[in-house]
Amino acid sequence: MLRSAGMGILRLSHVDISVPDLDLASAYYTQVMGLLEVERAADRAFFKCWDEEDHHSLSIRYDPRVGIDLFSFKVESEDDLEELERRVEAFGTRVHRVSAGEEVGQGTSIRFDTPSGHTMELVHDVAKVGGLLGKLNPDPAPHGLPGIAPPRMDHLLVTAEEVPEATRFYMDVLGFRLTEQLLDGDGHQIGVWLERSHSPHDLAVVSGANGGLHHFAFWLDDWDHVRRAADILAYNAIQIDVGPTRHGITRGNTIYFFDPLGTRNEVFTGGYRPDPDFPTITWTEDNIGKAIFYYEGDLNERFMKVHT
Amino acid sequence: MGILRLSHVEIRVPDLELATAYYAEVVGLIETDREPERVFLKCWDEHQHHSVILRYAPTYGLEAVGFKLQDREDLDALSVRLEGAGVAVERLAAGSLGPGSGETLRFRSPSGHTIELVHGMQQVGNLLPLTNPPPEPLGLVGIHPPRIDHVFLMCEDVDGATEFFRDLLGFRVTEQILADDGHRLAGFLERSHTAHDVAFMTGPDGAFHHVGFWLDDWTSLRQAADICSFHGVRIDAGPTRHGATRGWGLYFFDPAGNRNEVYTGGYWVDPDREPITWTEAEMGHAIFYYEGAVDQRFLTVHS
Repeated sequence: MLRSAGMGILRLSHVDISVPDLDLASAYYTQVMGLLEVERAADRAFFKCWDEEDHHSLSIRYDPRVGIDLFSFKVESEDDLEELERRVEAFGTRVHRVSAGEEVGQGTSIRFDTPSGHTMELVHDVAKVGGLLGKLNPDPAPHGLPGIAPPRMDHLLVTAEEVPEATRFYMDVLGFRLTEQLLDGDGHQIGVWLERSHSPHDLAVVSGANGGLHHFAFWLDDWDHVRRAADILAYNAIQIDVGPTRHGITRGNTIYFFDPLGTRNEVFTGGYRPDPDFPTITWTEDNIGKAIFYYEGDLNERFMKVHT
Repeated sequence: MGILRLSHVEIRVPDLELATAYYAEVVGLIETDREPERVFLKCWDEHQHHSVILRYAPTYGLEAVGFKLQDREDLDALSVRLEGAGVAVERLAAGSLGPGSGETLRFRSPSGHTIELVHGMQQVGNLLPLTNPPPEPLGLVGIHPPRIDHVFLMCEDVDGATEFFRDLLGFRVTEQILADDGHRLAGFLERSHTAHDVAFMTGPDGAFHHVGFWLDDWTSLRQAADICSFHGVRIDAGPTRHGATRGWGLYFFDPAGNRNEVYTGGYWVDPDREPITWTEAEMGHAIFYYEGAVDQRFLTVHS
């Protein structure tokens, strides 16, 4: 309101992944995760959470290989899109402008490759499809939704070979703020947690292959909902990776599990509310177990190695 | 970039020792500073110097409510904007409002409340180290909410107050309760992308309905009810759910008669989210979703 150039990136908008079986993935994301299918094309399907008003927060595309196509962040105004486009170009990265009509459910966006090897999108103009509750005397939650039915997407964690380089890009060029970092014995960043939405993280980066997706996460309101999610996963014979447990980093409560094609999902609650002047929390490698899984105090190999 | 969130409330109490004992032992806030007639407290996870000031006074009620500004330039921009609208604004240097206080714009809102917009309050750190911190400190007493959440005020002209906060201070309306003739009985406004940072309900100008503290989940709300009952603190309503904001709440009174709430839930708000409207006929569900009826004490008792 006080700056003509808007306020920059608001939050995670959507994650686009590829899956080798569109029908199986759709069945899982609607029946087990409890998302709503918003739109379907020949080789793609689009989903949103029940409380989200924008067109989609997850898209899946048929491809023989499992992976991430891109992740997309919502900016507060069209001016922000232009300003961030200038900043990314000034950094020396080529920006591709996607015109209105080229992508399902949204208008103009910009796309570019990040130093972490991911395709990132920024978008402001997103088609509004509305939440499930309406705007007149709404009940606080819809009834009869199958599965876990999270109200919204929360964050994603990606992998990169050079975490410090990726971090500098996300912070200096895109305006992310560093809430927590994990340092190895040499003081080198091996994990960073970055936010724009006054939450512990909207985007995190850990050491690994460039361009990798470790997981994306949906928000739940309460620890009891995390427990209920574990029941639903077990009932549906979904492989639980870790949890229910708690993170030292972000303080969140969590479960990790895999969709039927191998992409890791998380449901997450808790955390805290950092102001922009929040002092960064540092974790040292000798505390990595508690940092990641506070109750276990140990990492499992699968969690460290498996990504898509 | 404007107002970030609620910063603090300054509450009048006729018995400073009793009120301090209640806010420290029952609510579980941390005392950070003290003057002869004022006590400064904060929630455990807050980094700033205080979020609650208790002020000795012969009566109860709200002395002032403060909001945190993101940037120092916001002080200039907002003072120009307020003065342009004919609001008399006092600009106070850091420290002049007492220990820890930041640079502040102070003015009277049309709702009859003293509003402080603050930048640069002293940071004292939360109770955890910045290296390898556990997720929360152990051994805290009382309810010990991690942070202050919102403030609920009363005034005669809710439309006027809502528009003042929206048009001059940049708040966004998330929900409203409309009377049958179309005027607002209540307005809920946010800057922090939550369901509300401040709300107004019809009542006398300058009145204080409650201050809300955040809890992480419904189980913590149940524990809070246990703690209130154990200490003989009078519970006003709840644990229950709100239709408006969708949050879960528990209301109770401090020993001076100021209403407190502990609150969880709600939702994330994009700036372009359309407001939700409640009709007067559904006001019961809007305020107490489980009961479906508003009790008169809740509507009429304030400080």
